[in-house]
Amino acid sequence: MKRAPAPRRTTVGSTVARARTALGQPTAVLGAGTLLVLAVLVVAPLLGLVNTTLTAGNREAWTDVFASPMSENLLWRPMGNSVLMGVATAAGSTVIGGFLAWVVVMTRLPGRGILGLLATIPFALPSFALALAWESVFRNDLIGGSTGILMNLGIPVPDWLAWGPVPIAATLTAHYFSLSFMLVAAALASVNGDLMEAAELTGAPTMRVARDIALPVVAPAMVSGALLAFAEGVSNFVTPALLGLPVRFHTLSTRLYGAISTGDVSRGYVLSIVLILVAAMIMYASTRITGGRRSFATITGKGGRRRGVDLGPWARPVAAVAWLLVTCTTVVPGLVLVFSSLTLRTNDFSSGLTLHYWIGGSDPALAQGQRGILNNPQILQATWNTVLLGVCVAICAGVLGLLVSYVITRSGGPRWLTGTMGVLSFVPFLIPGIALGAAFIAQFGAPIGPIPSLYGTFAILVLAGIAATIPFAVRSGTSALGQVSKDVEESAVMAGAGLFRRIGSVIAPLTARGLFTGGVLVFVQMVRDLSLVVLLATPAMPVLAVLTYQYSSENFTQSANAVTVVIAVISVAATIIARRFEGAAQPWNSNS
Amino acid sequence: MRFSRMLSASVALPLAVSLAACGGGAPQTPAADGGADPHELDDATHEELVELATEEGEVTVYSFTSRIASVEEAFEAEYPGIDLIGHDISSSEQITRLRSESQAGTPSADVAYISDAPVVITELVAGGILQNYVPPRVAETVPEEYRQPLLANRLSTKVLMYNEEAHPDGSPVGNLWQLTEEEWNGRVVMVDPAVRGDYLDLVAEIVRQSEAMAQAHLDHFGTEVVLDDGVENAGQQFVKDLYGNGLVLVDDTDNVNAAVGAAGQDDPPVGFTSYSDRRDNEEEGWALQASLGTAPSPGITFPAYIGMVRDSDSPAAARLVADFLMGDDSETGGPAFDPFYVPGDYPVRTDMAAPGGAVSLDELGAWDISPEETAQIRDDVADFLLTL
Repeated sequence: MKRAPAPRRTTVGSTVARARTALGQPTAVLGAGTLLVLAVLVVAPLLGLVNTTLTAGNREAWTDVFASPMSENLLWRPMGNSVLMGVATAAGSTVIGGFLAWVVVMTRLPGRGILGLLATIPFALPSFALALAWESVFRNDLIGGSTGILMNLGIPVPDWLAWGPVPIAATLTAHYFSLSFMLVAAALASVNGDLMEAAELTGAPTMRVARDIALPVVAPAMVSGALLAFAEGVSNFVTPALLGLPVRFHTLSTRLYGAISTGDVSRGYVLSIVLILVAAMIMYASTRITGGRRSFATITGKGGRRRGVDLGPWARPVAAVAWLLVTCTTVVPGLVLVFSSLTLRTNDFSSGLTLHYWIGGSDPALAQGQRGILNNPQILQATWNTVLLGVCVAICAGVLGLLVSYVITRSGGPRWLTGTMGVLSFVPFLIPGIALGAAFIAQFGAPIGPIPSLYGTFAILVLAGIAATIPFAVRSGTSALGQVSKDVEESAVMAGAGLFRRIGSVIAPLTARGLFTGGVLVFVQMVRDLSLVVLLATPAMPVLAVLTYQYSSENFTQSANAVTVVIAVISVAATIIARRFEGAAQPWNSNS
Repeated sequence: MRFSRMLSASVALPLAVSLAACGGGAPQTPAADGGADPHELDDATHEELVELATEEGEVTVYSFTSRIASVEEAFEAEYPGIDLIGHDISSSEQITRLRSESQAGTPSADVAYISDAPVVITELVAGGILQNYVPPRVAETVPEEYRQPLLANRLSTKVLMYNEEAHPDGSPVGNLWQLTEEEWNGRVVMVDPAVRGDYLDLVAEIVRQSEAMAQAHLDHFGTEVVLDDGVENAGQQFVKDLYGNGLVLVDDTDNVNAAVGAAGQDDPPVGFTSYSDRRDNEEEGWALQASLGTAPSPGITFPAYIGMVRDSDSPAAARLVADFLMGDDSETGGPAFDPFYVPGDYPVRTDMAAPGGAVSLDELGAWDISPEETAQIRDDVADFLLTL
């Protein structure tokens, strides 16, 4: 291992002296420390990616992508489609997620607790479940085989409704509005009751209060949610592959996965770099437009209880819309998933139902003798591993996320630094999981100094997991922190509390709700994500997502769906448990 | 200001370290040292292998098929002292994984049971990551092309399939060029070759067989094929016409099977998929049948390779697994080969009988891909597809 020589400075002495002074400041230590962690977890894999595309023999991938007869189909059109899907997903998710969050947190509609729980589920469902649900309703005879419910009822379904951008944007939105919902709900829940009450006392109508007081206050959370939804929408592979390919609708992600899986790795990496750049630009533009500086501190030292908004005559229509939304995005796909694990024949709901794929013994006539999943000791082992992994990553990423977002929003560091950290903490989203996994093997597979090779250990999974989920942790940390008034922290400073004491005893408890939300997002992401762990999961340590993938690649669709149901149940359970903790952590905020 | 200076210094070091540590994803193996040097155990007798393998105690197998689970049971019944750990990992992921592991110097598998021949041969075998081992016991009975550069134990297929319920008198497609005509407009289904490697191999083979495609054009239309601008040969012209005729691309083999095979369709499409998926007809309610007699060929056969991972921990047990995967010396390969003895798959050993319930390899008439030659044109074909 070679180390690059230290950067030469003419005034080495003074630099060292300055550094020493700076090190005395805890904020600087924190900034340097988090930046270093980000460098190892994010920058290094990224450089590995870039590096690969610059080695001899791989360099022409750049010209192939940008300046060849293929560019049109490989880059430009897919890029347009990706941006379109990303923007549509972000817009749809913000509207739906924001609306549901408002209904759940701010109104007094009956059953809003259940509504809130159901709204968090779509994110825990695999994207193919939603695409499959769409198909089971709208599929027409373009491909052949069986058709969806509408066609079977004799209602013709045009291609644009069955395939391509419209269904893709709709299913992606149905999948990712949960992100916006969770972030916005957490933000709304912490809106100071005094503000609302004051507004109401002045006689402002309910809707006006919502628009002028609540909306600006939750703006950071909405932007965060929109950005996450955008990134997810841009990088999702399964949905455009399932619903787009039949009409040859390609996105950067389908092109990227295609290139990697057909052996043209460097071209795939170039596309993923393009994806990262495009998304970074959009992110930059969006923070400029929405005014990244403008944040509203809502958690101050004092605060009153909040009453729910009375909707009056609007109660019924609003409730109807809210229930319709969660029914279409949670109940229907959930049922499709459960039922398709019970069908005797793959996705053929008329073939009869069986519990074989859940509890059956080995029967050579079905799925080549695979046992029902609850009868399979491997599943138990995998379930334990998965939960452990999710918890470890959620805790580590949560702590890191809080620290990074503290540096970004509070350290008063130079703009380039906070900007860089903001972008860095977003980038892992856009690195295809499988490439991130390969980069981690390359980086930590060999011993580095005193650190032994991590390949095949649980540690490397956790590290990669943290890297991959930093975006969730930092975004939710930022939106939670954005609401904590500086007054609170300043009073702690006056009281003589040091930086880490402040973070531990003041910031963390105050932002607990947002942090729990982030933790749940990270946990769910880890539990269901496949592409990252597929290379890193040690052969001796199965995780559920990998098992799902193995089942489905062998066409044991029912078993795959059954395992997916297990994943969804774990995710939902985590959400419910986290809520309990939230309640305990923020007793002053319980508004019942 | 002070803050930012200090930070730029503190960033420089970890970056430099990571740069050195992270070589990226390209293979960095020493040039073509693999394959050439025989391993010291290559000539060991079966008894010697068993003895050494029992000392090694366990052997890890990456397999592109879940049937490795059945192999595991059979293997451990035969060799109780050796623990076979089988992992079901798709070929493209095996390739990425083996490459990354080799780069990091931490091979975790001993054996790779893998398809995706063109990439395996030109990258893993040429790069020395996988080494060849032909058990002396079967050397005589395996044709040369399946012994070198890597041992295969069976052939799989990607061929044109049709719905035999809708067409009880045989395939409706006698010549591939029919698929470019109005009758089949929008009714040919296949997995997008830009997304899946084995379908790219199929298209590459059609292009490689351009002469046969030109002859088939003449037979079908009675005229020589006319090439469009930018089209180099009859194979490419066929692919272009097929795409132009509303070829339906999907993401997954199962989608093709369901579209083509689902019973009760008046006018089902045809599509390219695996002959052996016919075995699921009863379970899934399909009526899939291979399009026999289609000129010039219904599709391709490709090998399932057994490779020895370089510098693995259990080289003896790995060789024992290779020996086991080739089947015993009975006609059906015995319990070792049983998981692979299905109609539509073809054992390579000349002393084994093809499984019943499917036509013989000769009768099927599929093109057998040539990994090296396919690898040469594969990227160009992929590029060509991207211009359509």
